[in-house]
Amino acid sequence: MTGVAQDLPVKARPAPAKKAKNHVPAAERKRHLAAYGLLAPSLFGVLVFLLIPVIFVFVLSFMKWNMLNAPAFVGFSNYIDAFRYEGAWHALVVTFWYFLLNIPAQTVLALGMAMLMNRKGRFTAVIRVLCVLPYLAMPVAMGVVWQWIFAPQTGVVNTLLHLIGITGPNWLNSPEWAMPVVAFANIWQYVGYNMLFFLAGLAAIPPTVYEASAIDGATAWKRFWHITLPLLRPSMLFVVVTGAIGSFQVFDTVYVMTNGGPGNATTVMNMLIYNNGFVGFRFGTASALSVILFLVILVVTLVQFRYFQKRAVYEMV
Amino acid sequence: MTFNAGLRKTLYVIVLLLIAAVFLTPYIFSIFAAFKPLAEIQADRAWQPPSHFTWDNFVTIFTQYHFLNYLGNTAAVTIILTIGQVLFSLLAAYAFARIQFPGREAIFWGYLAMLMVPNVVTMIPLYMMMSAAGLTNTYWALFLPYVFGTPYTVFLMRQYLQTIPGEIIEAARLDGLGETGILRRVVLPLARPVILTATIIAVIFGWNNFLWPLIATDSNDLQVLSVGIANFNSNFAQQWNLVLAGSLVALIPMVILFAIFQKHIVNSVNLSGASR
Repeated sequence: MTGVAQDLPVKARPAPAKKAKNHVPAAERKRHLAAYGLLAPSLFGVLVFLLIPVIFVFVLSFMKWNMLNAPAFVGFSNYIDAFRYEGAWHALVVTFWYFLLNIPAQTVLALGMAMLMNRKGRFTAVIRVLCVLPYLAMPVAMGVVWQWIFAPQTGVVNTLLHLIGITGPNWLNSPEWAMPVVAFANIWQYVGYNMLFFLAGLAAIPPTVYEASAIDGATAWKRFWHITLPLLRPSMLFVVVTGAIGSFQVFDTVYVMTNGGPGNATTVMNMLIYNNGFVGFRFGTASALSVILFLVILVVTLVQFRYFQKRAVYEMV
Repeated sequence: MTFNAGLRKTLYVIVLLLIAAVFLTPYIFSIFAAFKPLAEIQADRAWQPPSHFTWDNFVTIFTQYHFLNYLGNTAAVTIILTIGQVLFSLLAAYAFARIQFPGREAIFWGYLAMLMVPNVVTMIPLYMMMSAAGLTNTYWALFLPYVFGTPYTVFLMRQYLQTIPGEIIEAARLDGLGETGILRRVVLPLARPVILTATIIAVIFGWNNFLWPLIATDSNDLQVLSVGIANFNSNFAQQWNLVLAGSLVALIPMVILFAIFQKHIVNSVNLSGASR
């Protein structure tokens, strides 16, 4: 097909003068068209299901709209309502608490596991793979499983504790324990997955670096602290940033395991957005909460980037 | 081997086995429970295997409740969503990586900016748009927002396609192959690792996705496993035999997928990590 235009005798080529003026040869123009054609479905999806909704959510956050009445512009009152009546501040604190329970522990454990399993051998390889299995598990289904494992009377944990004479707490029904249990479920699911990024980071460290330090007589601890850890910064950044973004958006496990309770002890931002939008049909307030969450995630991500970029060059593109 | 080295090695094996146990026991406990009658779950020690395995719980959820529907819907949505995401992302990624066209950089930066948008931010407007279009409570609603691919998949594939040597593609162009021909005969075979990665990511996402199907559907005929399980769990609280059997219906296919593709899944993590 592409050959046809070139095969024609020069005289038969349509309007060569015009083309020279545009400086776009036919083959190249054809390629441009092909590119737009290839891009079209994806671009349509991004525009309609991502860009327009993002713009729409900002607009909605300044409107009162319950889909029954006509929308009305209300200024910042959704934002004010979100904090005054809907407990936005509490939800932000709860979300941040979840993040704190989750990410530091997960990062340290993932790094520890990677250090432990960063060696060759069939046995280690099998264990490594088993650690990643939970990554595929449906969070909702796992939430149900954890709910049973941590059930007050008949659950696995409390019957085991009973054996050694301890009466376990009510876990998910207790305001203090509910959030740690949900965080534990999340760590269990993703720590093996995050370990893989540290393993990839460890594999990228050239052995010569360690050889040099061995000659200098550095201890194993010093080697870890002064060589391994700094060189792992890119992996660390990835694990912490994606972990943080994920934990600020936690929903599935919370919805199933506690539904935000007891009381509002585990009502994270996403839970509050869902309740406002799809239980209360206050779409304006829910949009305002979405915008707040969006900005919080953006700020936290940027802070982490700045913190980690001090030493490591982090390449995005 | 000295005594000390032997001890260290034994300790290492024990620690690793303990770690593996942490990740496997929730599966094993729930398998035990799903094959027990309710009375046995409540009476006996939860971690013990059933005195005799019974399929009753699975028969109940498939024949008396809607798990056959949920399973079918989840499978259908996952397949459609995965094919669409992988295909459309590959096309877009090829254009970004391999064709010079006006506006390329600007559009690509737009995609990168969209990477930063958390999923939840679009939920409320998406629901209102779908509802206005009369698409909530239809199959369309379940996969339409995801079937055209995600900026992330496009980004991942573009990074990979850029590593294909330019000479190969130039040579194909000189041989008179059009862009679709190059894509099919040159890029497709070379891009298999990243296609597999994108497929795995899409399947995991499609199968486990919860918030959007929860919002977009409210009838048992249309619901997917995640939503079905969540509703079932709140309606049949404490009926652990049924609830856990339902959860296993969602968990086991992913375990099988993992068993078959574990090498690719582990590699795909490295691939997606490397390109971020």
